[in-house]
Amino acid sequence: MHKAFWSEATVAVIGGGSFGTVLANAIAANTAQVRMYVRDDEQARAINATRANPNYVKDLTLDPRVKALSDFDRLFEVRLDAIVFALPAKVTRSEARLVASRMHGTEVILHATKGIEEGTLKRMSVVLSEELPVARVGVISGPNLASEMARGDPAATVVASRFDEVIRAGRALLSGPRLRVYASQDTVGVEWAGTLKNIFAIAAGILDAKGLGWNTRAFLISRGLAEMVRFGVAMGAEVDTFLGPAGVGDLIATCSSPQSRNYRVGAGLAEGRPLAEVIEDLGQVAEGVRTTEIIFPFAESRGVEMPITETVFRILKGEWSVEAGISNLMTRPIVEDAMFT
Amino acid sequence: MEHLLPRLSVDPRTGSHPSVRFDSRAALPGPLLQLSDGRQSFIDEVVSRTSSEFAHKDHRTLLAETLFLERARLRRTKGGLSSPFLWRRKLDDRSVIGSLSSALDHGGADPKELTRVLLNHYGNEICGNFSRKVYDFAVTTVPWGFSWLLNTASLQNFTPWGRAESLASRIRVVGEVPLLQKLAKEGTVLLVPTHQSNIDSILVGWVIHLCSLPPFAYGAGLNLFSNPVLSFLMSRLGAYTVDRQKNSDLYKGALKNYSTTILGRGVHSIFFPGGGRSRSGALESHIKLGLLGTALQAQIENFRLGKPKPALFIVPMVTSYHFVFEASSLIEDFLAQAGKHRFRPNDSAEGFPLKALFKFFWKVFSQRTEVWVRVGRPLDVFGNFVNDDGKSIGPNGTTIDPKAWVTSQGVLQADHQRDREYTRNLGDRLVERYHAENVVLSSHASAFTYIQCLRHQYPQMDLFKMLRLNPQQRAIPMGRFLEEAGRLQETLFRAATAGKLFLSDSLHIRDAKIWTEEGIRQLGMFHERSVLRFDDAAVTSDDISLAIYYRNRLAGYGFGVIHERDRKKAFYGETDAQGFLV
Repeated sequence: MHKAFWSEATVAVIGGGSFGTVLANAIAANTAQVRMYVRDDEQARAINATRANPNYVKDLTLDPRVKALSDFDRLFEVRLDAIVFALPAKVTRSEARLVASRMHGTEVILHATKGIEEGTLKRMSVVLSEELPVARVGVISGPNLASEMARGDPAATVVASRFDEVIRAGRALLSGPRLRVYASQDTVGVEWAGTLKNIFAIAAGILDAKGLGWNTRAFLISRGLAEMVRFGVAMGAEVDTFLGPAGVGDLIATCSSPQSRNYRVGAGLAEGRPLAEVIEDLGQVAEGVRTTEIIFPFAESRGVEMPITETVFRILKGEWSVEAGISNLMTRPIVEDAMFT
Repeated sequence: MEHLLPRLSVDPRTGSHPSVRFDSRAALPGPLLQLSDGRQSFIDEVVSRTSSEFAHKDHRTLLAETLFLERARLRRTKGGLSSPFLWRRKLDDRSVIGSLSSALDHGGADPKELTRVLLNHYGNEICGNFSRKVYDFAVTTVPWGFSWLLNTASLQNFTPWGRAESLASRIRVVGEVPLLQKLAKEGTVLLVPTHQSNIDSILVGWVIHLCSLPPFAYGAGLNLFSNPVLSFLMSRLGAYTVDRQKNSDLYKGALKNYSTTILGRGVHSIFFPGGGRSRSGALESHIKLGLLGTALQAQIENFRLGKPKPALFIVPMVTSYHFVFEASSLIEDFLAQAGKHRFRPNDSAEGFPLKALFKFFWKVFSQRTEVWVRVGRPLDVFGNFVNDDGKSIGPNGTTIDPKAWVTSQGVLQADHQRDREYTRNLGDRLVERYHAENVVLSSHASAFTYIQCLRHQYPQMDLFKMLRLNPQQRAIPMGRFLEEAGRLQETLFRAATAGKLFLSDSLHIRDAKIWTEEGIRQLGMFHERSVLRFDDAAVTSDDISLAIYYRNRLAGYGFGVIHERDRKKAFYGETDAQGFLV
């Protein structure tokens, strides 16, 4: 029944960045039409004319069912069955506010943002349910590097929601021969895992640029995971979530791939370039920088130990050199190797 | 900001608060009248709904399980039944259970038919006996009785203004009263009060009458029926019984369907969503979702049937007392549970002495204490606020279409998992609203201050060790106490400004000495041993468990988190290792 319903459905993807484009393309294979919102009219025309979005994803030919639009009125001309938000955390609330009045309330909402709101520390599903006239909200997260998905490498992702209906919708929309969709009820855990791992991706970039090896990387990933769990559990997440694709899976992918944006930020910093310049060169949003700036002061004030996060924070701020950061990490008092302490 | 009852005239002398006059007509009984006319049709509907709900089950197994649970329950409730009403119930139960058991074991009777018999028995038991006559009698007599009590009791303090001071200056009904009155005409209201004391049931009933609302159906625990007079009145004023000892799925199904049926027929209802009375003294932090979920079910049915006034409104209500007459037994129960003792007193066995009731109202009427009742902002069945027109509004002002929320893949219908999540959200929201609508009294703040002083004094001590402090150890120097009180008041001001709670009038006085004296005096009013007492030098307690009980009214806000010097600030609610609610 679900497959039948969704194969006739119309879905909007808001955000035409790299992941938004890949998502729109994946969903198109399972639905009647995907309406992808991009901010720039030129870009919309180019996408529709060339069936590609080369600025964000190279070598992807878009499914003919994907239609790019740059105007919310036109986006909502037809009744939408689901809306997928693929926007930077910073603009999700303001964009949601713009679409709220155009919605019917029956739409299933998913988002694929791996970040949180500055100041409030609200997760994106909370932001969306505050702004939109719906409660049925879910999140898509996992080890999903856009370029690899565009290429069609086999991959796994997680759809999490408190509502089974949303999970079923996510599965029906995203599943394909090259993508397995896992289900989770732990929205809190999946959203925090996706957010927090970006911090360690920056650290991974730093280590690689310094020519450090696999031992160091494994050290970073395992202790980084412990920090993620500690913080996540304090925010109400379940530990198990961090052991799945959305947790350790995503962490390994982002800490290993030189394509990840946050990784590139770290690499740039390790080469001694100033942060502003690195971000400028990237040309896309690296959520990890902002996440680190938000998370570390909060964790410190609440007594959650996050030494790697602190190191990344101080390096980003220019307070510590990379060498000082590493030696500080190595000289901390050794605690028991319990996973989360 | 503060809405007063429109029917209440404002006392020109006191100005700020309303005084009650009993010159108004009674409101019409409304749809609850159906209960006296067509009681059996109600029950039949409950039976058929519940039967179809369980239709797919194997009835022989279902019935055998239910009867097993019932027999075990009957064995548990030996003696201790304090009223003829409860005795009769038990006898009825026993005969029905007995005959069904033997029919199931021996006869060739159809288990499906036997299940219907049992459901019919449950339906009869749950359903009240609303009586128009008793209702009319009560609405004319009770206010008269209250007036008489008021005048007689206030003779006690022979001040020139003693007689003039009114009942409503003692029972302060504040909050969204006009909106409640309006919504009761535009849809069906489910009133969900906090539950501290057996007094709640009477107080809430009276407040409903004060607000000119028609009578409400009342989901009341059996303990309320333990008093013969009350049980007669309650069941004829629209109360239906909630027997928490009956734990079979069939009974719970029948109870829920009863609630869905009456809500669906537009009967305004009340139940206490926290389950029983708060044992710790704290506001509800956990909501029972079973009965609460019937509001959403009724809402979905109303939409499906295209009823003219389909909307259901959930109205939270918070009562604040300076004293709770059963506080001692409640906190003992809480401590027994917190201490993992096996012993757990039986809710229904506890009596409800009329004497205590009279004593309580005597204190209220003789103007020695006050009670606050706050009618909270109404919500829809999902926990969204509704505006003055009863329309659902999202957190940031978005208009919400409730029909869309129960439409999945284009079809408006119930969906078990989805609806459970909605109800869970509503439950979370109620907990949040209870805290936000709570009116903090000087007595609560005084008790909180005292316990906080003890905790600073003995940082290593847990809840149970604190109960065993000797008289010297219990005394807190007055200076320290007042300093802590001032600090708490600042915190309360901030919280009130942020909309996290409300403060009673005396807590607005910026002199800790004045409001703590009043608070301590109020706490001492009912209990035999002083909850708190003071002299010029110190504040102390003769019953620390009661001080903890009253202090807990301020739990759940995080005010109790103690920031110790040698450790970093803790998460909200995290430093509860010593057993204190924070």
